[in-house]
Amino acid sequence: MLDLSSMSEHMPAFIDGFIITAEVSIISILGSFLIGLVFALMRVSDNHIFRTISYWYVDLFRNIPFIVLIFFAYYGLPEVGVYIDAFWTGCLTLSVAVGAYAAETIRAGILNVDKGIIEAAKSFGFSKLKIYRKIILPIALTTSVRPLGSVFINLILTTSILSAITLGELTGASKIIASTTFRPFEVYVFLVFFYGILTFALSGVIAIWHRHLNKYNEAN
Amino acid sequence: MIEIDKLCKNFGDLEVLKGIDLTIRPGEVMSILGGSGSGKSTLLRCINGLEEITSGKIIVDGLDVSRKSELREVRKKCSMVFQQFDLYPHLTVSENITLAPISVLDLEKSEAEKKAEELLESVGLTDRSHYYPAQLSGGQKQRVGICRALAMSPDYLLLDEVTSSLDPEMTAEVLDILKKLAGQGITMISVTHEIEFAREISDRIVFLDDGKILNDLPTSEFFDENGGLSDPRIAKFLSKMSGR
Repeated sequence: MLDLSSMSEHMPAFIDGFIITAEVSIISILGSFLIGLVFALMRVSDNHIFRTISYWYVDLFRNIPFIVLIFFAYYGLPEVGVYIDAFWTGCLTLSVAVGAYAAETIRAGILNVDKGIIEAAKSFGFSKLKIYRKIILPIALTTSVRPLGSVFINLILTTSILSAITLGELTGASKIIASTTFRPFEVYVFLVFFYGILTFALSGVIAIWHRHLNKYNEAN
Repeated sequence: MIEIDKLCKNFGDLEVLKGIDLTIRPGEVMSILGGSGSGKSTLLRCINGLEEITSGKIIVDGLDVSRKSELREVRKKCSMVFQQFDLYPHLTVSENITLAPISVLDLEKSEAEKKAEELLESVGLTDRSHYYPAQLSGGQKQRVGICRALAMSPDYLLLDEVTSSLDPEMTAEVLDILKKLAGQGITMISVTHEIEFAREISDRIVFLDDGKILNDLPTSEFFDENGGLSDPRIAKFLSKMSGR
């Protein structure tokens, strides 16, 4: 029988886990967006070295299982004297790994910008930086924002793997609660609910951002 | 003054411009005519540095277009209007017009906006300043394109087939504006298929054929039986264009 009331005394533990998951998610979303932006710009730049670095970065991190990456960072790096706690290992690896997907998504948006519009901007003597800031990126993001949303929702779901490096995030906390209460069904119902709060909140933010960026298209 | 000296432009193995020599004096209204693929748009785009020159030289008021350090100054002097309008879709009409004056010429925002208003008024679009390009008709978009170019107070206005994407009614509304401009002393270089328009506004017609200047004459002479029309290639072109 489903007995959710049995979970009430474990609420604080759920909420602690939820807060850690939310923190890791927010930091990693911002981190992966910034990293993705930088590598997307490198990938479309005229500089051969930047393009090559970006190409290898994306290819490398899309081809490593995430759990291998966090094991490497959390258990491997201390061997060579690099110690980072579980929380920041999680944030950094997520940012770097998801940054590769974000880079590809943003790059697709940049390549989608009408060449004529970029030429028009060039013809008026804008600096390259200003063309990117004022013209290319705002237009590119209008098409990239939805797929970026999917990438970031995936990021939230991937935080569950961080329980494997002892981080007491939602999934980790739930596993402990399940093993002490012997009520895995109720525990995982709550777990689904808590992840739902985060992913729905993110979907909402993405929808608002999308509407804001696309107001010129919807103005018709 | 724009001085073009032995200009060549290749796209890979394809030679598009094969040694163009041309001088355009301040205040002149010049039309460049020629068939498809004759190189007329490429010539215009070279003046603004949108195409890299293969060999030869373009000097605009003493500034060398091929030098990166001087190109930006050239672009401040030469504003361009495009066939496909190429307005910034994410910015309002007013922002489209003020962006370059604010970002490139460092004009105060209020000053740029005032100028944009004046320009929009002159093309009959005062009530559209807060619209987005997607909400405008083709003719309106091109009128905004012209305002965007004029907001830079350019010495030279480069017009690249500005009516080719418009239906006849909208073409007329855009050409009317350009006719008014032509009388105001701005140097205009227009690549066009509108023969009558070219004839009406231009002081001078340059006819390109296969990447070379076939004829460079004052307008009245160009359309004279003993002038430009005596060349069978030009006569054929004109009869084809007016027979459309």
